[in-house]
Amino acid sequence: MKPYLQYLVILLDDTSVAYCHADNPLKERNLMPIETLKKAILFGMKQNLMIQYVYPEYELPAEYDETIESIDNLKIGRDVKVTNEVPAAVDCDNIVLRIKIKDLIAKQYDIAALLPNVKRMNICLTDIETFKDEQIAEYKKALNTLGAVLTSLYKEQKHPQLNILTDRLTLKEMHNCEAGIGNITVAPNGKFYLCPAFYYDEKTGVSNKMNYKTKDASRSVGDLENGLCIPNKQLLELDHAPLCRNCDAYHCNRCIWLNQKLTWDNNTPSHQQCVIAHLERNAARDISAKLSEAGYNLPEIKEINYIDPFDVKEEW
Amino acid sequence: MSKIIKDIQNPWQEDTAKSITFIVTKDCQLACKYCYLVGKNETERMTWETAKAAIDYILDHEEDRNFKQESVVFDFIGGEPFLEIDLIDKICDYIKSEMFRRNHHWFNSYRFNFSTNGINYDSEKVQKFIEKNRTHLSIGITIDGTKRKHDLNRVYKGSEKGSYDDVVRNIPLWTKQFPEAGTKVTISSADLPYICESVLHLYDLGIKQVNINCVFEDVWKEGDDQLFEEQLTELADKIIDGGKYEENACSFFSENMGKPLDCKLQNNNWCGAGRMLAVDAAGNFYPCTRFAQYSLRDKEAWIIGNTKDGIDENKLRPFLTLDRCTQSTEECKDCEVAEGCAWCQGENYDAAKTHTVFERATAICKMHKARVRANNYYWNKLYRKLELEGKREEFEQNKPTNKTDIC
Ligand code: SF4
Ligand code: SF4
Ligand code: SF4
Repeated sequence: MKPYLQYLVILLDDTSVAYCHADNPLKERNLMPIETLKKAILFGMKQNLMIQYVYPEYELPAEYDETIESIDNLKIGRDVKVTNEVPAAVDCDNIVLRIKIKDLIAKQYDIAALLPNVKRMNICLTDIETFKDEQIAEYKKALNTLGAVLTSLYKEQKHPQLNILTDRLTLKEMHNCEAGIGNITVAPNGKFYLCPAFYYDEKTGVSNKMNYKTKDASRSVGDLENGLCIPNKQLLELDHAPLCRNCDAYHCNRCIWLNQKLTWDNNTPSHQQCVIAHLERNAARDISAKLSEAGYNLPEIKEINYIDPFDVKEEW
Repeated sequence: MSKIIKDIQNPWQEDTAKSITFIVTKDCQLACKYCYLVGKNETERMTWETAKAAIDYILDHEEDRNFKQESVVFDFIGGEPFLEIDLIDKICDYIKSEMFRRNHHWFNSYRFNFSTNGINYDSEKVQKFIEKNRTHLSIGITIDGTKRKHDLNRVYKGSEKGSYDDVVRNIPLWTKQFPEAGTKVTISSADLPYICESVLHLYDLGIKQVNINCVFEDVWKEGDDQLFEEQLTELADKIIDGGKYEENACSFFSENMGKPLDCKLQNNNWCGAGRMLAVDAAGNFYPCTRFAQYSLRDKEAWIIGNTKDGIDENKLRPFLTLDRCTQSTEECKDCEVAEGCAWCQGENYDAAKTHTVFERATAICKMHKARVRANNYYWNKLYRKLELEGKREEFEQNKPTNKTDIC
């Protein structure tokens, strides 16, 4: 099914935790005014959206509690733990591990050791743009290490999820981040952004390249007063992404923020993003083969001879 | 019958010839009123060091996918390129000697190409250069038509004085040296009343091929499409009744125009941005000159690299994955006369609501539709005439085809 708007991400504070690819460079507290929060919740209710609050490290003032709980919600930074370090042990079901590629490679065994104790781990690489083709073998090996642990757990009928490997096992179509289409973010200033990363860029003055004279940095796509207004929204959709719409790395985040940063076009992924997603896809294929032998009934993941769809685009 | 003109069916001969453009200067003697080069200036001139670094980079990367095409066209543009004839001469000599020294696959498969305002075409230096490079050279002089039409737009910098007289005196020399050359005419709103007389005038000057197109910018006023259609219809009558179709071609009239297009089978991008390479005075690389800052009204330049760090392949990926339908509106996808409706990727980028090359600008829409109507008229009338004269078959076999030169 074509994705439609389902989630409203509410950044409660400028220092709310980063939970995806982009680091949060904002260091000064700037709590969303309670009136803005109420409006955001109202917007979510009227648009029938699931609310996801993103929490800062510090405790919110008590008067926020009632408003926050006035609607069903998920709390990122609370219910979902976000960590930038590989923890020695985990004490929650659902964890986001934000990590640099080289650290993931270096700590692959520590991460693998956590898998038996989680229901779901989301690994989020924070420096995809730095990935070099020379790292392919190392990243492959790290994925194999994690894959071996997952395979033996699955054989024991234990089913922890690891986004970069197990999501692809069952997917039959693209399931990407869907920023701006499946979810939208509202910042403490009451404005909408495609995702928190776009808000960070605006706040830190990164030019949006729309005007070379003003070096304007604005990136909002509407506000709570006037509603959503996403220019060129069609370009966020899969059918408007020439590479992705032909691709079967279905679990790939297809991060439009990284696309914009690296290729300067929302709908065009970088070489790095594609290669990483394909190494994961192929590692998932290996897991799938082993699980099929063990009696699992999983959809086929085809053998392919490329790791960047850009290299075979002429064949489509 | 002349066979001078290239095939319109495949406007971008993909992967056969690489186009490399040197923006040698951003200065020009003229200040044409329609000029898209919003940031022209007298200070940004390419140095020899930059030119050499660019050539070295390009020739060093012979095996890269960006430079693997069979042949190459080195384009020199400005501003006015011939203002920098000394530099150009040095660049061309260096390219030739380096291609020879390296036994590069482009050696003997190269061309130097110039678009000039023609003002100093007869100067000693330019003429010497032409003599030296004659067999690998093409030069297009831009002349807009009759004196009143040309001088309407093509005026000297800092004055309203038209440049027609200074250009037209060089046309006989040029057509003698390049009998197959064509000229490029750009039509903006104020030029519409002069189209017919201008094209005929250019034919009379001995220019056989007139490449003409409407500007892609949003300049069109109410009623412009009717005026355009009237002019083209009148031109059609004059060309056909005067028998000029046998020797001359005008890119406004093409048989491959005005039909619906299929999103699967006819999904190619129109323009070659990204498959070309432009380099400017600062040593920066661009997907095409239209992405350099001096050509852009608002957006930041789309710099894909430079002579020191090379090309950032990621910055080229949007261009190399572009297709017609992904960037088109639903209206354009469903359009019954879409065939031949052009766009410029640079203008698309500049006019887009977001930072993208995937939003097609359609300011040209009503002008294309008017052109299609006049074009249909032209071919219906021409073929009827040829049939009545029993010459259709002969014409079909020998007809001059058009070169589409949209950028
Ligand atoms: S791997 Fe590349 S082409 Fe495939 S979905 Fe991800 S970003 Fe798109
Ligand atoms: S666009 Fe999506 S994947 Fe990328 S940083 Fe934003 S939320 Fe994460
Ligand atoms: S711009 Fe107008 S004429 Fe051209 S394809 Fe689109 S709808 Fe058709």
